[in-house]
Order: sequence, then C-alpha cells, then structure tokens
Amino acid sequence: MKKIRKSTFFIVVAFIALFTVSAVLGFDYYYGDKATTVVKGVDDIRLGLDIKGGVDVTFAPADDYDATDEQLEAAAQKIKTRLGTLGINDNEIYSDNKSDRIIVRFPWQAGESEYDAGEAVKELGEMAELTFRKGTDYDTDEEDNIIPKGDIVINGDDVDKADYMQQPDSNGDLEWVVTLALNAEGAKKFGEATSELAGTNTPISIWMDNTMISYPTVNSAITDGNAVITGNFTSESAKELADQINSGALPFKMVTTSFKTISSTMGKGSLDAILLAAYIALALIAVYMVVLYRLPGFVAVIALIGQIAGTLAAITGWFGFMPGSTLTIPGIAGIILSIGMGVDANIITSERIKEEIRSGKSLDSSIRVAYKRAFSAILDGNITNVIIAIILMGAFGVPTSFFSQILNKTVFFMFGATTEGVVYSFGFTLLVGVICNFIFGVFAARLMVTSLSKFKAFQNRKLYGGDVK
Amino acid sequence: MSNKKKTTAPTTETPSVSEKIYDFCSKKTMILVIAVCVILALVAGIIIRGVNLAIEFKGGTMLTYSYTGDLDLNKIESETKNIVGVPVTARAGESLDSDGWQVTLSFTSEEGLTADRQFELTESLNAVFPENQLELFDSSDVSPSSGREFLLKCLLAMVIAAILIIIYIAIRFKKIGGWSAGICSIFALCHDLVTALAASILFGFEFNANIVAVILTILGYSINNTIVIYDRIRENRGLYPKASLNELINMGCSQSLRRSIRTSVTTIGTMIIVSIVVFISGYNSLLSFSVPLIFGLISGTYSSLFVAPVTWSWWKGKDSKKD
Repeated sequence: MKKIRKSTFFIVVAFIALFTVSAVLGFDYYYGDKATTVVKGVDDIRLGLDIKGGVDVTFAPADDYDATDEQLEAAAQKIKTRLGTLGINDNEIYSDNKSDRIIVRFPWQAGESEYDAGEAVKELGEMAELTFRKGTDYDTDEEDNIIPKGDIVINGDDVDKADYMQQPDSNGDLEWVVTLALNAEGAKKFGEATSELAGTNTPISIWMDNTMISYPTVNSAITDGNAVITGNFTSESAKELADQINSGALPFKMVTTSFKTISSTMGKGSLDAILLAAYIALALIAVYMVVLYRLPGFVAVIALIGQIAGTLAAITGWFGFMPGSTLTIPGIAGIILSIGMGVDANIITSERIKEEIRSGKSLDSSIRVAYKRAFSAILDGNITNVIIAIILMGAFGVPTSFFSQILNKTVFFMFGATTEGVVYSFGFTLLVGVICNFIFGVFAARLMVTSLSKFKAFQNRKLYGGDVK
Repeated sequence: MSNKKKTTAPTTETPSVSEKIYDFCSKKTMILVIAVCVILALVAGIIIRGVNLAIEFKGGTMLTYSYTGDLDLNKIESETKNIVGVPVTARAGESLDSDGWQVTLSFTSEEGLTADRQFELTESLNAVFPENQLELFDSSDVSPSSGREFLLKCLLAMVIAAILIIIYIAIRFKKIGGWSAGICSIFALCHDLVTALAASILFGFEFNANIVAVILTILGYSINNTIVIYDRIRENRGLYPKASLNELINMGCSQSLRRSIRTSVTTIGTMIIVSIVVFISGYNSLLSFSVPLIFGLISGTYSSLFVAPVTWSWWKGKDSKKD
C-alpha cells in the first residue's frame, strides 16, 4: 500500500461526506416548474407496501371469460414477474378462484402522493401478446379496430429470452433493436417460415396485440433461432418491449374492475417510528463506540455513516448502472444485518489494536498488524453473507436478473421462476451492505486510523486503548 | 513487514497480556446435552403449537367494507379477531372508482367465510362502530399469494446456502479440520433458527414475511459470529502449533468473548430500541419482526461461543479416540 499521509484522513472524510450528502439529498434542478432529478436522494426511495401502503387493483378476465384455476394462477404469476421486471419487487398478488379475479397490490411510486389510476395499470405493462405473422394482412372490425389475420409463425411462448441492443441499420447508423433467442420449437417454426418466405416480397409482421411494430422482409432463411425486431425503438422502448416479451403474455385478456388506495400493513406514520428508532440506535452506537474505543471508535462511526449512505445509494438507484429497489421491512432487516456486521468489523479491529498495543508493540506496527490479523475474520464472515445474499437473489429475483439466470436453471430447476420481492430485497440490501462494509468499514477505516496516527496529537497510546496507568 | 510472531510465543505460555482464559470445553457434555434438549424441546413446542401461516402463505378471506368518518384500524382488527378467532389485518383506503373510503379486513380461513358468518360479523361490527356506517362492499376468498412452493424454495435456498457455507469453511479452515467445523457451525445455526421461530410462535405472531426476514437475518448473523471465533482458533493454531484442540478453543473463545459481547450489545440493543419505539407508538405489527429477532440474536451469541466450538471439540475428541 502506498504511504499513508496525514492528509489522507481529510481526503477520505471529504469523500465520505460528499458521497453521503449526495446520496441522502440527491440532486434536482428546476426548469420552470418541472423538477429533473439528476441524482436520486432518499426522497426518491420507493417504500414498500408494508411501510407506506400503495395501490390495490382488482383484475378480472375480460368478456366474462371463464378462466380455469390454472390459468388464473399463471396470470397471477406473470403479473408478479412483470412487477418485478419493473423494479417493483414488493407486491401482493392474490387470486380468487371462486369469482375469477386477481387482486394486485403494489406500493406507491417514490414521491407520489396524488394517485393516477391509469398510471397504475400502465406500470403493470400492457397485457399484450406478441405474434410474428406471415404477411401484413389485417381486418378492421365495426369499430375500426385493426385485427391482424396473417398466419401466426411464432408467438411469445416460443421465445426463450428477449434482449435489447444497438446495431447498425441499412445506412450504417446505430439503431435500437430487440433481439430474441427462440426455444427449440420456436426456432424450428421460424426456420420453416423464413425459408418459405426468403426472397419473396411477403414480409413477416410483428405485432403486440393489434399493433404492428415492424414488418421486415426476409432475405434468407433463419434457422439458428435468433430473430431481431427493428422499428424505431429508443433504448427505453426497446427495453420495455424486451421486458414484456420476457415476462410473457397473459393467458387471457384482463380488465380492471376496481381501484383503490390501501394503507400500509403497519399503519400510517410507521415510517416515522422506524426512523426515530434508527436515529436513537445510531446515536447510541456512536456514543458506545467512541467511549469504548476512542480514536478507532470515532473512525468507526465515520465509516458506518459511509456504509449506510452506500446502502441507501444502492436502494435509490444512485449508481447509474444498477436499478434501485423497493425498501421493505425485510430490506431494512438486510440493512440492519450488514450494519451489525460493519460494527462487528470495527469492534474486531479495535479490540485487535488494543491487544497489540498492550502486548508492547509500537503504535505503528500495532495498527498495521491489527488490521492485517482482523481482516481474515472479517473476510470470512462477510463472504459467507455474500453467499447467502446471492443464493436468495438468485432464487427469488426476476427471471432475467443476473443471479436468477444462473441459479434458476441449475439448482432451482424443479421450481418455477418465482419472483418474491421481499426475500430479494433482503438479499439485495445485504449484498450491497457487505460490499460497503469492505469499502468503508475495512479499507476507509484503515486509511483514516493510520493517517490520524501520524499526527503528534493522536500518538497517545491511551487513545487506542493502551494501558491506562 | 512480517514481524516475529512465531518466535514471541512459546507454546506453554498463555497468549497475550492479561486476558483470562476460561475453560469452555470442561462442560462439554453438559453444553451439548443442553443444546440438543433445547432444540428438541423447541421443535416439539413448534410442532404442538403449530405454525400459524399468514394469509399470503395460506390463503384466506378478504372482506371490504365501505365506511364513513374516522375508523380506528387497531380497534377493528381486535374486534374482528374476537369474532373470527384468528389474527386480522385491517387496511384502509380510498376507492378511486366509486368514491368513499373502504377498509379491507384480511385473515386466514380454511373454507372461506359462510354467508351466515359474514352477516354475523357485519352485525357485530356495526354494533361496535355505529358511527362509521360499515357496509359490506366486496368479499373474496383468495389463494395464497406465495404458497407451499415459496416456502419449499426458501427451505431449499437455505439448505443450499448451508452446504456452500460448509464447503467454504472447509476450504478456508482446512488447517484446523474444516469439514467438521463447518457442520458444527450449521448445527449452532439450527439452534438459533429454532429459538427465533419458537419465540415468534410463543408470542402468538403469524408466520409472515417478517418472520422470513428474521430467519434470513439470523442465518447471516449466526454464521458470521461463529466464523469470527473459528478465525481466532485458526490463528492460534499457527501461533501455538503444539497446543491441544481444547486449549485452542478455550483460548479462541476467551479472546473473542469481549468482542462477542460488545457486538451483541449493539445488535440486540438496536432491536430492543426498535421494539420499544414501535410498541409505544402503537405500530405493533413490527413487533413480529423485532421480538423474534432479539431471541435469535441472543441465541446466536450464545451458540457461537458455546454450541459451535464445543460441539466441534466433542466431534474431534471422538475422532481422535477412534484413531
């Protein structure tokens, strides 16, 4: 490690302070009345149903369609997956087989106070079916609605996985497209159709319900099971379509029969109570650490603040590459566990510093040896928690998420892809918390303690728990 | 960089300065017997009392009433509970397609609620809340939103996590006989999980998402606690190559004792503060999270110091007798 100077402490503290302030407050700018959020702050956290309440929507099959229990169950599962894909991990979905309906509850959008009923359903994604058809023929019904009528080549069930990416169009400009990896049966059907249409003028048209998205002509037979949908996509609309295809089409068309708001499970104002408890606990932990460990204790408190800010930042979506998450009670449990481990890491090292100093070593080597020896315990403890977090995120994340793709087809193959937001959000906050623990509780804390020990004023061994004589 | 750690430590001398070494292993049999008895007794208790699955895991009935004025949700929960005999959750909301306020009462039920019982409930609620003009708006018998498959998958996820943890410990603690250490840490974990679950049942909480969160938290906390102690044993093995396993365990546990207690003070203290605050402010449903967690954390502290290392010492002792 490069030599740690006196100034290192101030650089680390400034970094943590800047990070914490931006993660907590976020950054908005106003253009006229419209606020644009540049960096998301804690106000942008989507709170779970259990903490803040949300929206309750009842869906029923359209046109008095009599859904079987299995179909209703499948529809409920798909709605659940869609919510997960939209980043709404926290939701309650109940199906009522006797009266054929599905009750869906999901939390308010962050910062939302007025309720827009249309938005709620829109957020669920359109309940549309994807079809690839021969030709572009369609009928119009009495109400001028377009009904596609070409032979169906493949539909959403034949798609294994959809993704979105940029590729050059015929002019060489980059355009957004949705790519489809078809399953074996889909690849066969698609191969037959494309070899039939190759070289003819008959295009293949791609529809979401009754809207034609594009109608590419077929240049050559495509037998490898990879299809591409083009059609004036932006990155957002391409992602949206890919997500919709991934979550699959519903087995029947559904309409909403009732909308209402719903209070949180814990009651109104419970968030204030949780926050109050958190402030009290943090203040007491801070006092406790400083009283017990003095200088390393003081550093531990700074590191802890950084760790909490880091976890909050991950939940708000502060890190651009990572979507935010919904904060629920189990998510808070993950934060508590990771903070507990962060405190533990600091206690282990501080105890170690004290031990080394009392064994007669110099201050310099005590600090160095203590961090070195404490690290193996912290590493092993935290890695086991990473294992737990990854398993949970894989088992209960949305099917397209990274860990789920690995785990769902291997260890959990006998189960369907169940998306369970509460468990996922526990895994998410735990994983993020543990990573922050390494960054702040171990790395930053070590820099700070070592840097402070260069100051003459902080070279009194008592400040590190040396013998008081 | 490397200091003379091996030369400074003769094998017979006690490690660093003034730390007292307690004899954790002397009561080996007693601790083991107690641990096994505690687990058996709690498991028996859990089976006898039965786990009350919440509506999201079991399915049940949701009754929606329209009402006027202010409605005390805590009160309607307890009134309904008296009539239907199971815990009830009441959640209020504003209807957006037919205006007015509605309250949804949800509770678990085997076969739904018969028309007679529904009528009876409506009558009695109206007698208690005459000002609110409660009117039955809708009733649904719902299937569980996360049923048996979710619980099974949870269980499998935990089993897989446990296996991976055992493998991880086996590799990282090879120097001190990792496999047995890994398995003993899972044994201690079971002790803690059973304690948390039993506490939740004893206090009459339903098995809901909060309990799932408690179980997962204990899973992480208990393993971390045990590993910190194993780490000290591993380090002592390097420092004192000639010491017996029991001596190493006694030393490791004694050296970690202060850290264990101090860490536990912060975690258990935090959950006690949460429990007190939510209890005083009336958000009792959060107690089903914080209270079982306190018991799990206490058990986690105890089991990492006693159950895991002592069971391990017993295991190794048996091994060496066989040789």
